[in-house]
Amino acid sequence: MLSRLAARSSSVAVRLAHTSSSASQAAASATPATTNEERNEVDFPRTKRPIHPAPVRMGFIPETWFELLYSKTGVTGPYVLGTGLITYLVSKEIYVIEHEFYSGVIMAMMAAYGIKKFGPTVAATLDDQLAKEKEEMLSGRNNTIKALTEGIAASELSAEQAKGQSLLFQAKRDNIGLQLEAAYRQRLQSVYAEVKKRLDYQLEKSNVEKRFEQRHMVDWIVQNVRQSITPAQEAASLKQCITDLKALAARA
Amino acid sequence: MMTNLFSIFDPASPNSLSANWCSSLLFVLLMPGAQWVASTRYSGLFKQLSDYLFSEFRPIVKKASFVLLISVSLLLLIMFNNVAGLLPYIFTATAHLSFSLCFGLAAWSGLMLYGWSFNTQALLVHLIPQGTPAALMPFMVVIESISNIIRPGTLAVRLSANMIAGHLLLSLLSSSFSFSPLMAVPILAIAELALISLECAVAFIQSYVFSVLLTLYMAEFSD
Repeated sequence: MLSRLAARSSSVAVRLAHTSSSASQAAASATPATTNEERNEVDFPRTKRPIHPAPVRMGFIPETWFELLYSKTGVTGPYVLGTGLITYLVSKEIYVIEHEFYSGVIMAMMAAYGIKKFGPTVAATLDDQLAKEKEEMLSGRNNTIKALTEGIAASELSAEQAKGQSLLFQAKRDNIGLQLEAAYRQRLQSVYAEVKKRLDYQLEKSNVEKRFEQRHMVDWIVQNVRQSITPAQEAASLKQCITDLKALAARA
Repeated sequence: MMTNLFSIFDPASPNSLSANWCSSLLFVLLMPGAQWVASTRYSGLFKQLSDYLFSEFRPIVKKASFVLLISVSLLLLIMFNNVAGLLPYIFTATAHLSFSLCFGLAAWSGLMLYGWSFNTQALLVHLIPQGTPAALMPFMVVIESISNIIRPGTLAVRLSANMIAGHLLLSLLSSSFSFSPLMAVPILAIAELALISLECAVAFIQSYVFSVLLTLYMAEFSD
């Protein structure tokens, strides 16, 4: 590991020296964007993990063998090759049919039956298990993504809610304004009442003064008139009154 | 070609070189690889199997559970060898006493040396089972000592004898296909099918028995 690090650092130093000396040459011979400093990914692409096994024919013969022979011998080529080979081996007794062959045939039949019958269920169970394992492996990343997405949504929600705060403040301002208006009107009302009270007082006072003056005046006039009436006048008025009364009584 | 009935157990591939013993290394090919971090179907199956085996063996050893590594790996080795030996043209290494005695004798002698050196009291106590009457105690000691001494033999012989018997029957029945009339072939095929199923079961069971007994001895010696 440390040797690789040393080699890499030395190669980087070499490459840096090289590029600094031949900058114009590098600009002229531009490499494609996919190659990086360490690996040419165009000619040596990175292997991808295969999800499914390579396709097979008849259970165990790879499909690539058939594709290999297709251009030369067509569709039946590999089958003819297989049949011919088996015939040659058996007829020349290179492959001897003996007890192992018969038990092998029976085992092949058992295996084929077992795979056909239990294969799909076992594969499905194993796939479930693998999916669970993969989910577990990616759980850290996925949970972080989910948490961050939820965080974003929560931040947006709180931003929206914060906008609503201004409405709240406006409503509070309006409320305060209404309260102020009510207080102002109440005070106005009290001022009016006070002023009216004072004016009423003044009015009453002047009325009372007028009444006193009038009474006083009437009393003074009456008093003066009473004082001015002499007894001779009083007797004369009385006589006149009696004659008027007699005249009226005669008329009636 | 069958020169005699027991030539199926002959480890010589050409007549001078004993190359057939290489079949005991087949299990290396059957182990799942780990090129990628994500597990494959086969490695998932293998992991399930080994988890199950570990959970089965754990109640036997309560104290020193590191010995389970020996038990389970031995079980897997013997199981692979047994089952691979059933397949045609593959040599059954476990049918040979020399193969199974290697495991049995090595494990047993190691356990005996360790046990008698460090746990002498416990092993002496184990020689008399619980509840024996006092009069029988001397005889019990003798009997238990003899059974203790023949343990590697029994382990090895049980395994190889079962394998030999099974393979012998299988080869006899299969070779009768060549000599029997065509009408008898379906009956023989059904019989062979039954026998192969039995042999598969025996292969699994014998490997399990071998490793469980060894684990029991380990538990007994470490208590």
